[in-house]
Amino acid sequence: MRPGWIWLASFAVYPIVGAPLLKHPVFRPFGLGARVVLAAGCGAVLVSLTMTTFALAGWQWGPLPVLASIALAVALRGLVRGLIPEGSDPSPAHDARGDSRREGRSGIWIAHAVTATSLLAALAATVAARSTSPDLLLFWGPKAQQFATVRTIDAAYLGAPNLEYLHTYYPPLVTNVFALGAMIAGRFPWGAATLTFPLFLTATAVALFGTLRTARAPAAAALATALTTSALALVGIHSSVAGNAEPFLLFFEITAIALLLTPAAGSGAVQLLAGCLLAGAASAKVEGLPFVLAVTVLFLLLERKRARPAGRSALFLIAPTLLSSGVWLAFGATRKIFYGYRGYGHVSEFHWDHAPAIFYAIGRALWQSGHALPFAIPLLVVALAGRPSRKALLPLGVAAGMAAFLLLTYLQSSSNPSLWISWSAARVFSPIAALLALAAWCSWDRRTASGPP
Amino acid sequence: MRRAVLAALAGSAVLAGFAIAALPFSRGLLRVPRTPYDASEAAFTAPAWILLERAESLIPRDSSVVARVEPADANTDMFLHRFAVALLPGRKIVAAALWGVPTAPDLLAEAEFEIVVGATRSSPGRRLVLSTPEGSIWKRDR
Repeated sequence: MRPGWIWLASFAVYPIVGAPLLKHPVFRPFGLGARVVLAAGCGAVLVSLTMTTFALAGWQWGPLPVLASIALAVALRGLVRGLIPEGSDPSPAHDARGDSRREGRSGIWIAHAVTATSLLAALAATVAARSTSPDLLLFWGPKAQQFATVRTIDAAYLGAPNLEYLHTYYPPLVTNVFALGAMIAGRFPWGAATLTFPLFLTATAVALFGTLRTARAPAAAALATALTTSALALVGIHSSVAGNAEPFLLFFEITAIALLLTPAAGSGAVQLLAGCLLAGAASAKVEGLPFVLAVTVLFLLLERKRARPAGRSALFLIAPTLLSSGVWLAFGATRKIFYGYRGYGHVSEFHWDHAPAIFYAIGRALWQSGHALPFAIPLLVVALAGRPSRKALLPLGVAAGMAAFLLLTYLQSSSNPSLWISWSAARVFSPIAALLALAAWCSWDRRTASGPP
Repeated sequence: MRRAVLAALAGSAVLAGFAIAALPFSRGLLRVPRTPYDASEAAFTAPAWILLERAESLIPRDSSVVARVEPADANTDMFLHRFAVALLPGRKIVAAALWGVPTAPDLLAEAEFEIVVGATRSSPGRRLVLSTPEGSIWKRDR
């Protein structure tokens, strides 16, 4: 068997690791497909966390971190059991699959066909070497390859002179996942790594549909999934995300926030699951961290009934992120290679004179990603849906927060950041396209809701 | 509300259509690419990728290697250093340039192997290991 296929097959480890948690009956309404995908997401977070912890402790990787991750998932399942004795969930996920009898099934199939077309386009672009990210060759791949060779996070390699471009402090999940596959396959397969773009986009679509249909009619869930997937496929093809961290980040961000938009968000178990996925976002890319903070704060503010008790909800949503980020920052500090995340300027220094150039460069970058359609169409759909529902304020608020964070990050650059924006803006703004699609779905929900509030 | 739902469906279809239109049909969609970058915006890296991939089986581990371009260009050399770090694991990669600044020639001379992207002529003190349309691989005499 070729190493590329073995490397891809290694991803089967993650749903196995996450299975004990997602086997709890409270998650049953999400359906088998979504549960497998959500279990994989949790599994990846747990495996990455244990791999980083092993590296921090100075232990080499082998089968042990995977076994430790399974033990962690079993412990989390115990926590969920303790929170919700079976059959007494205070806010069970509403299974709206029966609603499909009232909805036109043709609408569902049309939406699924559009989703499938976009996924196939992403796959074709990847296989044709159209969308490969330069970052795969520059730092994600080399780091994963080296970590797999030495079977740990190689601090000496990260701190080596002339290798500063490896972005030493970038969170570890993507390199850990890539490295584990490389250890199993015996080498790092560059071509197979690009397939994580269609793979994670498919996983996002499966999880999104399974999650959203527990809240409202399957036709609306299918349509929201089609809009999200199509926008992300187009922006991903144009901004060359195959093989980099964006597909991971988007998967964790979108699945987490989708869970919090369902009636089941009032359940501690679902909040804990969303917290695990948010930790995945924070462990995938630096901008995952402000996303987690924005989601947590806005959920606590906007969903006071569901986020009750607030302390417990806050803990479930943010503790996994604090743990995973804490272990990573402890690794950097103990090895004296980094002491936090770095920007491209001083934290308190903003170069407002660059603002016109920044807005122009962002507009240009978005235009070059499918004529800005991945952003304009979801925005248009939100506008046509009328006054946003209360539930829509969560994705809209997070989108606004992330846009502000990214603008301020660009404003911190002491030199004109136009070139930097040209290669990064479409990618880093892509979660906003998905958040707009989810906000639109929330507003359809307002008028036609049939599930529990 | 119906307008918004129809707009979402039509919009999704438009986005999917644009995604298909973005595929590199002119290159032949079913043609197996030589490198993961063949049809990407970083297609200029393909010759270096091919040469470095060939070098992987020819240059022993623990050897020192320098990768550079002809005609000389410090910016391209900086990226070739990074590509060599990625594609030649286990070798000591000597940078021909860093951050656009060329490395001193005496430091380059320490490398046992030299990978040259682009055309180059034979010169004393080194022996040709491989020549391809993308460039050549040389072993320095010791």
